[in-house]
Amino acid sequence: MKLIAIANRLYLSALILVFMIGSLAAYFVMKSIINHEFNEKLYAEQDQLIYELNNYSNLEKTYYLNIGDVIELEEVAFDANLSPVLHDTVMYDPYEKKELPFRQLKFSSEIKDKHYIITISKSLLPNQDLIEGVSEIMIGLMIVLVLVLGLLNRIIFSKLWSPFHQIIEHLRDFNITQPHSLELEKSNVDEFNKLGDVLEQMVNKSMKDYRTLKEYTENTSHEIQTPLAIIKNKAEVLLQEPLEEKHMRELSKIYEAAGRLARLKEGLSTLTKIDNHQFPSVERIDLNAYVHRRIDALQELLEIKNINVEWSQNDQTYLDINGDLLYLMINNLLNNAIKHNVQNGSISIAIANQSISIQNPGKPPQVPVDQLFERFKKSSSSAESTGLGLAIVKRIADHYGFHVSYTYQEPNHKISIQFNPKKNL
Amino acid sequence: MNILLIEDESTLAESILSYLQKEGYHCEWVDNFAKAHEKAWVYKYDCVIVDITLPDGSGLDVIETLKQIKSSSGIIIISAKNSIEDRIKGLDIGADDYLPKPFDLSELNARVKAVIRRRNFEAQNDIMFNEISINPYERNVMINDQSLSLTKKEFDLLLYFVSNQNRVITKESIAEHLWGDDMDMADSFDFIYSHLKNLRKKIEKAGGNDYIETVYGVGYKFTRH
Repeated sequence: MKLIAIANRLYLSALILVFMIGSLAAYFVMKSIINHEFNEKLYAEQDQLIYELNNYSNLEKTYYLNIGDVIELEEVAFDANLSPVLHDTVMYDPYEKKELPFRQLKFSSEIKDKHYIITISKSLLPNQDLIEGVSEIMIGLMIVLVLVLGLLNRIIFSKLWSPFHQIIEHLRDFNITQPHSLELEKSNVDEFNKLGDVLEQMVNKSMKDYRTLKEYTENTSHEIQTPLAIIKNKAEVLLQEPLEEKHMRELSKIYEAAGRLARLKEGLSTLTKIDNHQFPSVERIDLNAYVHRRIDALQELLEIKNINVEWSQNDQTYLDINGDLLYLMINNLLNNAIKHNVQNGSISIAIANQSISIQNPGKPPQVPVDQLFERFKKSSSSAESTGLGLAIVKRIADHYGFHVSYTYQEPNHKISIQFNPKKNL
Repeated sequence: MNILLIEDESTLAESILSYLQKEGYHCEWVDNFAKAHEKAWVYKYDCVIVDITLPDGSGLDVIETLKQIKSSSGIIIISAKNSIEDRIKGLDIGADDYLPKPFDLSELNARVKAVIRRRNFEAQNDIMFNEISINPYERNVMINDQSLSLTKKEFDLLLYFVSNQNRVITKESIAEHLWGDDMDMADSFDFIYSHLKNLRKKIEKAGGNDYIETVYGVGYKFTRH
């Protein structure tokens, strides 16, 4: 999830929580204030009413009491001696023309030597309106706050975090095989500057390590050549001598091992050469025709395993690619398809939509699929296999920005290469 | 036949010399550019085997010298740098072949023979081995004057054997000779076996002898018994 989404989510939940508690608290506080005020008013009205009843004979001339208040005067024969009692009730309101909540104050009083039980009923409607109004204001406020916060967040994230995104962008473009410093721009955020500095140091260090490693590989690869040739040729010379079979076999193992080392070295130096861009020349190659030619060259291998080749090609696919690299890539793929095939098996080659896929039945891979393209991950324990084939394919693909994928779906292995449309026409 | 070997690594040169001398070639060896340059001017060789990286110069310059004096020598480059540019450049300035190190002596031997054959306009001549006669130019084989129909690989295999008579030829070197980088070593041994089986069958059917001896666990030997 994006940082901004998480932040927004957190903000929103915090806001809702605070507003809910706040609104609730506000509601109760408000309610108690209003209640209190209501009661005060009722008591004041009681006093006012008693005063008015005592002092005026004609009530119609004075309007000190609130409209909507209902006053009942019940004359009784004796002093009821009621202390004032408050209670809520529902009554018909002639103004609103419906049943509404009222608060009543009931008390007894002696006015002009007569005993009365007086009830003053006050509509609670304004009270409710007030609370509703307050809630509306609160909700409105919350919506505005959420919008403002969201907007603010967005601005903060795009403005404030832009150095961060820039760092990510640089890191994504970074390629150890074509190293150049990150060259991050300084921002005015210390944390990001610090991050940038640390990353730059790290990148510089890995670039240095990579260079050292590459030089080491190159030197080893070259310097190993002559001793290898000596071992191999000395063994070959010795093989011509009249030796006992026992010695002959030992000798042939030395010879074999030297050969293996030579092939291994060859594979590794190919990988290094790809990294070093030592295959610069590019030519336009008709992939369909090329793969057909390669298949023809491997005909005898196909015949011995009695493998049937199935073609499906939709359009002409042309690649601008180095001939040697294409050879390595296609040859490794076809060799694998033959090697890991079954007797009387088949190879399906599909060339279409700027892609090639090669599918063949075979035993399930013994190496986790995601490690298949790593060096020295062999699915057979065969000593003669260098375990570099697919690593070379992958490296060539990476070099040209192709996408390689592998799937195994009982019983078929399938390797597909999607050629980057950018590189082709 | 005179061969000049230009190689700075003495141990390696020894093996090459020992192998080629057994083939009946007269071999000379120099280990630097200066001596090579001098020899190339003074003597005439049928084949010059030259290492590209020499302590005091490049083997490519030796080739250019040979070309300047219009030498008719065949030239084979042997190089520790299996680089495409060197190969192209070497062949461009007139080398006949390029063999990256490490190579099999049997392979070098076969290439030396092929180069000498071509240089001496012997390509049209048949290579004879008892009742077998091979014409490398037209790529056909006769047994007791009866034509033998071989596949390309069977022909290459037979020629390789005949070029390295009485030598133990390893399976690896056969595989590399026939397929080069085209195939994984592990698979190729089965294929060698199947090609050999067919080749033996065809030769015997045509009335020839089976000269191919199996050296168990190592390879094969083409010998008169």
